[in-house]
This record gives sequence, structure tokens and C-alpha cells, in this order.
Amino acid sequence: MMRARRALLAPLIDENPVTLHILGICSAVAITNSLHSALIMSLMLTSVLAYSNIVISMMRRHLPSSVRIIVQMTVIASGVIVADELLQTFAPETAQTLSVFVGLIITNCIVLGRAEAFAAHNKVGLSLLDAIGNGIGFSLILITVAFIRELFGTGALMEVVILKPVSDGGWFEPNMMLLLPPSAFFIIGCIIWGIRSWRPQQVERADFQPIAIDESEGK
Amino acid sequence: MDNESPLKAIIVVVSTALVCSVLVTVAAVSLQPIQNAYQDLERIGYIVGISGIAEPVEELSELEIIAAFQDLEPRIVDLERGTFDETYNPRTFDTREVATAPEFSVTIPTAEDLARLGQRSRLATIYLVRENDELVRIILPVYGQGMWSTIYGFVAIENDLNTIADMTIYEQGETPGIGDPIQSREWQTRWQGRKLYDEDGTLRFRIIRGAVDRSSAGSIYEVDGLTGATMTTNGVMNMVRYWFGPHGFETFLNNFSTVSSAGDTQ
Repeated sequence: MMRARRALLAPLIDENPVTLHILGICSAVAITNSLHSALIMSLMLTSVLAYSNIVISMMRRHLPSSVRIIVQMTVIASGVIVADELLQTFAPETAQTLSVFVGLIITNCIVLGRAEAFAAHNKVGLSLLDAIGNGIGFSLILITVAFIRELFGTGALMEVVILKPVSDGGWFEPNMMLLLPPSAFFIIGCIIWGIRSWRPQQVERADFQPIAIDESEGK
Repeated sequence: MDNESPLKAIIVVVSTALVCSVLVTVAAVSLQPIQNAYQDLERIGYIVGISGIAEPVEELSELEIIAAFQDLEPRIVDLERGTFDETYNPRTFDTREVATAPEFSVTIPTAEDLARLGQRSRLATIYLVRENDELVRIILPVYGQGMWSTIYGFVAIENDLNTIADMTIYEQGETPGIGDPIQSREWQTRWQGRKLYDEDGTLRFRIIRGAVDRSSAGSIYEVDGLTGATMTTNGVMNMVRYWFGPHGFETFLNNFSTVSSAGDTQ
């Protein structure tokens, strides 16, 4: 019971794939300029993650270590293609706005990372919980970043105007920089800073100590 | 069996590959018809959008778009003879699909191949827009090579067979942000009211670099180019000049008054 709880809840903050492991940054930067894309992307990644963790956990006793990664990649890639086809069929307009980034879930390190680190060593049920936990952890960050970027970048959320922009006779001056990818880096950086101030145990130990140079020496 | 034996590795790899390929194939093949239907619906939306009979097409539901499309009268044109072809049902026959099929394909002479197509179908589906039984617009398909991609669109002309009523591009793969504004309504609406031919019937239509000087002679035949997208806008201009030229719809348009009255008596 404790393990199940941990598998599900730890990835939300304590072991968040984005803020602790710094995985999945590519899509977190690329598609977070609108809340709608972020929600769809979160849903897609969580489903792919759940599927890949289940399948790989079922195969875990029959995975020769020599071909382990390539088999996992094949399983993940097929799942992503099917998910992409489904999205293109049933939500073609959303598929167009997300363009290549659904296909790029294949290269999202969270999926392979969870397959390797968790599903390959744990039972199916536990792996599913881990997938859902990590999916939600990723979604939390994505949705937070998208919320900030869309609200302050356009003044609207999901096409509902909240802060009326100056161009429409309101008072709010949208921050155009927030619509550009680099702004996601700043926001994710601030979130990581916030989490690590709150949970200092997440701070990585320094790889090396700078050597203090005695300034009086050598002139 | 030992997990680390080479045989086991081969079995696992082959069976994974087989299962996954079946999964992907089934998904792709079974979902294809729905995806195609959506593409058709999208194309229909573009046609309805320039027909001038519907409200701004963005505000219509899918069913309203289909209903508006049903009000248009599709006809198949035989480009060589410049007449209507009655052999095929224009609602079901896909003239774009048969463009490369040997029995329909026509090689375009290099000197006339402005749109750089190489070949085209001898048949083309056009749409007649009628309001109270009176012909108001004709929607003609045009396509040609842009900078990177084949650009597909429609041009709607008024019933004088000369004035551009509207145009649209429904498929292109030009440079995002530079060439792809050819799909923006802001640019497309600048085509409205421009003329294709002069009094002598010579094709004068051009897309020029920069903005059109409205006071100059001949500006009625000119459309503003897109800054930085000379190759793409030249592609669009050449495809329009090809399709309204002697190897395109020109013969048909010259015949139109006779063939349309013949068609009405049927």
C-alpha cells in the first residue's frame, strides 16, 4: 500500500520528472503558449506513458538486456503513432496546432525514463500508478507554465478574455515575450527555484568545489 | 529459456516488431477514411468560403457548410474541348486524384508549363454559384509549384468571367511566416475586384513586388506581392496565369456562354 501511494504521489512534487529530473523540457517549452495545447499534450503524454509502462512491465521478465532499449523504443514509438493517428482523426484542429510535438513524445525522456527506471522492474499495477503519477507531475508543470504564458501573453485563457488588452480598448498590455519559447525556460527555472527552496533536499550536491586561490600568491 | 541467449533476443525483437507493426498498420488504415472525410470537409469549407453565398464560413457549423456546398453546382470541364463533360458524376468523381492516371493525364508542353506541373488531368471540377437561378460566380480549381510545395487553391470569378471575386489556398507547404501568408485572408481579400483579361482578351493578371500603385494604368490587373516571399507569390501568379491561360480554362471560358446555355436546356 505504501509503495502504491509512493508510486502515485511522489512524482507530483518530490520526484517531479520536469523539475527534479529535468526531463521533457522540449515539449514543456514548445507547446505551453496556450493552455488548450498544454492540456491536450498532458493527456497524450499521460496515456502514452500509461500504455508503455503497462506493456513494458508485462514484458519485463522476457527482456534480454542486450536488446532492452530498442524493444522499449519500438513499443513506445508504436503507441505514440497510434495516439497521433487518433488525435488527427478525432481532433484534427488540435492535431494541427500541436503539429510535430505529439510525434516527438517518442523522444520525450520521461517515457523511456519511466520504462527503464520503473516498469522494467515492477509489477503491472504499480507501473500503471507510476505512469499516472508521472503523467500528472508533468501535466502540473505544463499547465502551470501554460497558464502563466497564455494569461499574461494574451490576456485570455482558453479564448475567454480575462485581462482586456489595450488593443481591444482595455488596460492590459500583453507581454509578447511570454508567447516565445524562451519564456518557458524562465518560468520553469523559477518553478524549480521555488520547489528547491521549499524542499532543500532536492538541491543537487555540487559536482566539485571551486579551489580558493590565495590572492597574495604569485602577484 | 535463458533471457540472455541470442535466440531469445531474436524472438523478442521479431515478435515485438510484428505486434507493433500490426498495431500501427491497423490504426493507420482503419482511421484513414475518417481523416480523409475531414480533409474533404475542410476543402468544402474553403470552396463555400469564396462562393459569396454563405456568411463568414468560420461562423458556420459543419452541417451548414455541407448544406451550402450542396447548393453549389459542380460540373466537370473538359479542358481540351472547353466544354462540360457529362460522362462522370461531378459529386463523386475526384478530378484531382486522377491527375496522374494515364487515361486522364495530359502532358503540358514545357513552354506553356508556367505552373511547373509536368502533367495535369484533362478534366477539372468547377463549381457554379447561382443565386435565384442566376449565375453569380464560377469557382475554378488552380494548383502549381510554389517555392517548396505544390500549392492548391480555388479562384472565384464573377459572371463577367473576368473579375476575380475571391480566392483561397487550401493546401501548401511554403515557408512558415514568409510564404505561408498566401493563406491569410488579409492577403487573399486584396484579390477581390482585380481583373484577369483586358478588352482584347489578353491575360494581364500579375502579382507585383511590393504594393500596387492604384493610380497607374493597368493596376486593375495587379495584386500586391508579399514582402520576402517573391518565389512563393511568383508561384501563385504563375499558377493563376497557367490555369487562366490557353492550356487552362481559357478555351472553356471563351466557350462558356454557349456551353452553359446548352447545359441549361438539358
